[in-house]
Amino acid sequence: MTGTTAPPRVVYDSTVTAVGEQVEAFLGHGLLIFFGDDSPAELHDMSVRHTAVVAEEGPRPGDTIVLGEQQMEVLAVGPVVADNLLQLGHLDLKANGLSEPKLPGDVNVAKQDLPLLSPGDAFRILRGDGRTTEDQT
Amino acid sequence: MPEYKSVKVKQGRGGWGGPLTITPSDQRPLIYSVTGGGIHPVAARIAELTGGEAFDGFKSSAPFDKIAVAVIDCGGTARVGVYPMKKVLTVDIHATSPAGPLAQFITEDLFVSGVKPDDVEPA
Repeated sequence: MTGTTAPPRVVYDSTVTAVGEQVEAFLGHGLLIFFGDDSPAELHDMSVRHTAVVAEEGPRPGDTIVLGEQQMEVLAVGPVVADNLLQLGHLDLKANGLSEPKLPGDVNVAKQDLPLLSPGDAFRILRGDGRTTEDQT
Repeated sequence: MPEYKSVKVKQGRGGWGGPLTITPSDQRPLIYSVTGGGIHPVAARIAELTGGEAFDGFKSSAPFDKIAVAVIDCGGTARVGVYPMKKVLTVDIHATSPAGPLAQFITEDLFVSGVKPDDVEPA
């Protein structure tokens, strides 16, 4: 049934450039907010900023998000996530264990302690089985 | 000196809050679009009807006290609270309701959501 597994495809690949002062407080609520490096100043306090070298697609359930050394499976993705990520580098990551997105911008992963990232850390989205868009239904 | 007019922005389908009356001034001339893909059509329409200056927040930054209204395409967590917290009138094109870590600042006199260009009318 199973043949060789294709290597995971990197659909989004970015590097953390700055971490806002409020980010650690939000971690206590299982929340991590990302914005691209060119986001306006008023969003810097609350967000992890980053600069992407690959920005092909937004996450899907079943994908793996890599944050520094930590990996987590995507459980649910709201309908505006892809636009926000690909256009603004913006993503709201919630470690709430829910299989449905509560808000349109939510990306849900299992309940866990999300990492306090540092500049230079990876922010990456991997699609596990190497399938292309056309193969997935 | 430009002459400014007022617009009324009401909530769209499934939206929340408002209606907001937006009147730019010499002190607060900016229609501040913090959205993907440049100036959003809702921001463009507000600017056109009021005489305010459409401004792309992802191209350059503006001081809060220059902003007549912030137009956002927020998915419900971050931007929905940032601008109301600073008492800046906020229009979300997505149909969000108060949520996220700054939910307490999101009030119907400051925030309206689910807004499409047709929900912006001369006041």
